[in-house]
Amino acid sequence: MRKKIIKELQDMPKFVYVLAVLVVFGAIVGLYRLYAGLGATTNLSKAYPWGIWISFDLSTVALSGGAFTLAALVYVFHMHNLHAAVRPTVLAGLLGYTSVLIILFMDLGRWDRAYHFLIYPNVNSALFEVSWCIALYSSILVYELSPVLLANTRWKGIIPVLEKYTIPMVIAGVSLSTLHQSSLGTLFIVMSERLHPLWQSMLLPVFFLISSLASGLALIIAGASISRWVFKRSLPQNLIAKLGWFLPWVLGVYLVLKLGELEVMGELHLLLNSGRYSVLFMLEIIVGMVIPIIMFSSKRVRHDRTASMIGAFFVMFGVVLNRFDASWFAIQPIPGVEPYSPHWMEVAILIGVASGVFLAYTLIGRYFPLFDETMVVESKRKETAVNPQLTASEIGVAE
Amino acid sequence: MSTQATPGKYGFLIDVTHCIDCRACNVACSVENNVSMDSTRIWMNGTGVVGEFPELSSSTAPFHCMHCNDPSCVSACTVGALTRDHDGIVQYDDDRCIGCRYCIYACPFQVPNMDLDEKMPLIVKCDMCGDRLQEGEQPACAATCPPGAIQFGRREDMLAKAHQLITDHPDKFIQHVYGEHENGGTSTFYVSPVPFEELGFPMTSSTSSAYLNRLVTHGTPAVFGAAAISLSGIYLTIKNVKEESAEEARIAAQTAVVQAAEGAAAETAAIEAEESTSEEA
Amino acid sequence: MTNFTVSRRDFLKMSGATVGALVVGQMLPISLAKAAQEAGLLDENMTGHISTMCEMCVWRCGLIAKIVEGKVVKLDGNPDHPHSRGKLCPRGQSGLMNTYDPDRVLTPLIRVGKRGEGKFRPASWDEALDLVASKMQGIKEKYGPEAMVFSSTHNLSQVQFENLLNAYGSPNYGTQRSLCFNAMIVGNLMTYGMEEPARDYSDAEYIILTGRNLMEAVSTSETGDLTMAMDRGAKMVYLDPRFTKTAAKADLWLPIKPGTDLAFHLALLHVIIKEKLYDRAFVNANTVGFEQLETTVAPYTPDWAAGITELKATDIETVARDFAAAGSKALAHNGWRTSNFENSFQTARAIASLNALVGNWGTTMLPASGGHGGEGLGMPPQPPYPRASARRLDGVPWKYPLVPFKLGVFQELRDAMLTGDPYQAHGWFISRQNPVQSLPDRTRTLEAMGKMDFIVSVDIFLNDTSWFADVVLPESSYLERYDPLSQVGNRVFIRQPVIEPQGDAKSALWIYKHLGERLGLGDYFQYEDEEDFLRQQLEPTGVSLEEIRKKGYLDLAAPEHGEEPDIFHFNTASGKVELFSNVLDGAGFDGCADWEEPPMPENGRFYLLTGKVAQHTQFATQNNQLLNKYQDEPRLWINTKSAEKLLLKDFDLVRVTSDVGQINIMVNVTEAIRPDCVYMTPGFGHISKGFTTGYGVGASDSVLHVTYTDPISGGQALTQTFVTVQGI
Repeated sequence: MRKKIIKELQDMPKFVYVLAVLVVFGAIVGLYRLYAGLGATTNLSKAYPWGIWISFDLSTVALSGGAFTLAALVYVFHMHNLHAAVRPTVLAGLLGYTSVLIILFMDLGRWDRAYHFLIYPNVNSALFEVSWCIALYSSILVYELSPVLLANTRWKGIIPVLEKYTIPMVIAGVSLSTLHQSSLGTLFIVMSERLHPLWQSMLLPVFFLISSLASGLALIIAGASISRWVFKRSLPQNLIAKLGWFLPWVLGVYLVLKLGELEVMGELHLLLNSGRYSVLFMLEIIVGMVIPIIMFSSKRVRHDRTASMIGAFFVMFGVVLNRFDASWFAIQPIPGVEPYSPHWMEVAILIGVASGVFLAYTLIGRYFPLFDETMVVESKRKETAVNPQLTASEIGVAE
Repeated sequence: MSTQATPGKYGFLIDVTHCIDCRACNVACSVENNVSMDSTRIWMNGTGVVGEFPELSSSTAPFHCMHCNDPSCVSACTVGALTRDHDGIVQYDDDRCIGCRYCIYACPFQVPNMDLDEKMPLIVKCDMCGDRLQEGEQPACAATCPPGAIQFGRREDMLAKAHQLITDHPDKFIQHVYGEHENGGTSTFYVSPVPFEELGFPMTSSTSSAYLNRLVTHGTPAVFGAAAISLSGIYLTIKNVKEESAEEARIAAQTAVVQAAEGAAAETAAIEAEESTSEEA
Repeated sequence: MTNFTVSRRDFLKMSGATVGALVVGQMLPISLAKAAQEAGLLDENMTGHISTMCEMCVWRCGLIAKIVEGKVVKLDGNPDHPHSRGKLCPRGQSGLMNTYDPDRVLTPLIRVGKRGEGKFRPASWDEALDLVASKMQGIKEKYGPEAMVFSSTHNLSQVQFENLLNAYGSPNYGTQRSLCFNAMIVGNLMTYGMEEPARDYSDAEYIILTGRNLMEAVSTSETGDLTMAMDRGAKMVYLDPRFTKTAAKADLWLPIKPGTDLAFHLALLHVIIKEKLYDRAFVNANTVGFEQLETTVAPYTPDWAAGITELKATDIETVARDFAAAGSKALAHNGWRTSNFENSFQTARAIASLNALVGNWGTTMLPASGGHGGEGLGMPPQPPYPRASARRLDGVPWKYPLVPFKLGVFQELRDAMLTGDPYQAHGWFISRQNPVQSLPDRTRTLEAMGKMDFIVSVDIFLNDTSWFADVVLPESSYLERYDPLSQVGNRVFIRQPVIEPQGDAKSALWIYKHLGERLGLGDYFQYEDEEDFLRQQLEPTGVSLEEIRKKGYLDLAAPEHGEEPDIFHFNTASGKVELFSNVLDGAGFDGCADWEEPPMPENGRFYLLTGKVAQHTQFATQNNQLLNKYQDEPRLWINTKSAEKLLLKDFDLVRVTSDVGQINIMVNVTEAIRPDCVYMTPGFGHISKGFTTGYGVGASDSVLHVTYTDPISGGQALTQTFVTVQGI
């Protein structure tokens, strides 16, 4: 047994050790934060009560939207040819949400009372609703992933029972996701003028929802490339192309709604004369939307592994920037008060948690049946189907 | 405006021309309410020294919770630790608070403070000195102010007095009572010789952000229901369509087989019939 | 201080001092005064109110302490006290922090290290008092009682302090008066025959404040009165080289050149006399010396004054005419020391004359109300005092013939202690005073202390003077003790304990008595304890101690003779208001208010201004954590243009150098001060490590102040100190 463990450790790719060190360090700093309080370990202040942790949470939830997007496409819209990507994406989503919950816990001034949201409701509060949705949705993600986690254990007998209720759980999960992805946008409505008008809007929930769809799709596309590099397994490019086909439509709707709303509110002129806010906004629009729209409209890009990955990263960048803008960069400063920049401990904890996500993903991918239905990449150029049930007609999905 | 904007019982009238920035109100509040040393429930806003020597001017005013009619913080608080009581006072339950700090962002007047130097921090906010009100005393700030800049009484009296002041002395006061309509209306009224933006007062709209917030958050169950129903609908529809087309394909296949079998049987029968006719001849 | 910059961590970075971790809510739960419980002032839940008096400044507002379940939780103004009328200023509100300050000295201390090392050992009262008595007795026997100097800043126990020093036989009595208001008092004495007339704002229509920064040097009720008068439409004119909070409220702020207030007021007198705007009937009936005044001020035209004051002649004329037009409803506030120059005495004389010319006596100016231990109250019996034969070291009256004994010249006393001229003092008894910080030229004061064989300090803290003392005797704070009764008008107020004295602290009444007894002067302290003393004070009134404790005050019976006292009879030689004073003239000084040229800085030096802030009382409160929290950071004010010339930016560190000392301080670059002036808030830069909050915060202006004394009133002239400012 010991020999086996040592051999496993020796076989690990080296970056796993780096991640482990970062996780341990982050955990130590995290424990200290819980002990010493926010004042001693963060640069949060009355002028800037939310910082990089909240921005991270918002971004991670948006990116983890891949899980609900994919579940909807596969189970509700019956696109079963995408089924291969479900498990890895749901795992990514679950780990993403877990990291969000950990960071949220770190962020609570009174972490000793974290459970209060369960017993003290305020139905008017967007944050109350978000907390419940995320808690419930995380449970559903666990449920969806349980076949993977239980596959090699002695409880694997209940897997068929669990799988029987997949559809209702997925529908509940997608509904919950729709709710909290949009409610994270609703959060900012009560802040009125404190959030720059280029972002502030009564349509914030719609904007956040649509962009989470886009970032979800992008995550799946980008995730395919990453898992190819790390696990030597991936999806066939045709499936990736199919997902990429949706992107320009989703981004297009967002763009029309966003610019249209600015025009209706008479705020369009702010686009160009808001100084650094204009720069941030244009970055979101151009890098995060316009360029990917152009790219993914091209069949060649969609079928090119590298190009579609780059396009996906642009989309993810745009959405993450949007979340950081809404929660940090576009929050109007208070005159005379130094703007917020994170304390090193905030960053250390964040890196620790993010490393933990990658570490967990790597280890689970290594030891659990995450990729049974996906292809193995044998060589750089050839891709061979392993699963005999994927017929030729399904691989060559109609364009 | 908002459906929940019933005015409260008490109000403050703060006359900026009287405030001399002595901070007796700050000290009195700290003592009365055991405020931690690194935070405050009341503070000074002001214009600073404006102009060039010797043409100078300066105004200051104390600022604390406005006790809005439709408080944004109450609407936003995740666990309902902030509530508005029957007298219109915005109360804080420091046993419930989880320190999420949403209220700090929600408040358009930038009121809630947090004693971040404490290991277990809590929000710091004016509560109109409830203990003193019970004894028939004024809140500590109003009671102590030596030049009488902070007055306290029934809300309608304070509002009426504010309007009286600005009407009677149009040369002395800006013709606006700050706090009457801001954020949907509050219980704290200011009259000032200088524009309120110059004092550093947040200029907010007359619609409470709590109202806007509720417009969206009250749609939550509807959104969830709509999503669940439409997703179920889509799932079942596509499932039906697929099953129907699968069924049709199966029937077509079966029909083809039957037809093929019938055709084969007919052929066989025809061949047999031919053979029998040829034998009879 | 805004809502966004409250952070103890930021403050620590700025000041470098360690701030005590005391949270207001964690104040030590002090046991309630047993006496309070026994007197039935609280209910069965140990809840109730106790009426007493503040001591955070000399205005001494009446306050009501709120006790909830045996714990003092809040101080509020007493609505029945004319100085507070229900309000308290920020210092009054911080009183609990003063009493609960962790730096309180709670046992007698006897020095063990060298002076200034701050090494003391706790001792019992017996040991400490025995030591003090033996040292004092020794000095008396060896050098005579005059070799023992006594100094104290005015307080309710002052009468017993004076009792001690008079019984001991020393003529050497130092008070803060010459550091504060000698100019005003002597000016009023020479004009009206009284120290300070009372002011009544209820009918005031036009008010001139000469440097009296009422909106920052808050005297609770008077600040309120001025505000209400202005609400009713009264106009306020304010003279100050700085744009203070009072300037911000003024109808007309005059940024007058320091030291030239006198020229301004002489010009006002000139205009009012020349244009015949004065109240002729009043002047004829109630003043003497008008003709001499007319002659004296003839050359002091508005143009002349404009050149000197750097104000506009038209402004001076307008003020003169508007002031006179308000007639009896005009009020020129006599301030404490106006511009703080040697000529401030003449300014006080001019202001007093100005008030007389418009005939406001009986309207905005009235005879003063009663003193703190006035008529109608009793006293313990005592034998007559021994005659103090020696000359006073402070030059009264042999160097300063016109300075009343009561006022003295404290800075002169300090100088004599250093030089030994006319004779060497050997001991110093200081009670409730911090002369190391309050006297000009701190280095000189420390040198003078070096000449003393024995120094004893009575205080509630280890202040900068106690830091250098040989014995420190801990007085109880004002919330912990009785003091002699305080009379304001016809109403007599009590100071009574709200809580038991912490540690071993004792009241001044107790300390002086027990020390007196050990000095063989027990006959002068014929009271058992504080309550006995008060009962003896109350005896003629017929009111019991219990009654006055419950109510907080008693009203003295009106005088029995039916007629009103004649307020138009003045206690001067002529019985009238003396625009020309034979006393002054006879002593070789100007009989009327007259011009005295003030010194001016040259070679790029600045006037060093001093002043007040609402959050502090002189040198006493900088250790109070609540006041420290809400104060402005103490920096050197300098005008934007002057700063540019010196290549200074806001918050830069500079060295300020005067003829006697230098300090380092950060600058506050502002438009709110004349370009030829710099300003420091006094009282900072403490050197006693017994002030854990106040130690090292800011810098001390007394290090810079050169000692100048007006020969007529004995008042010091702080703003005659000129300084250079250099970036570091």
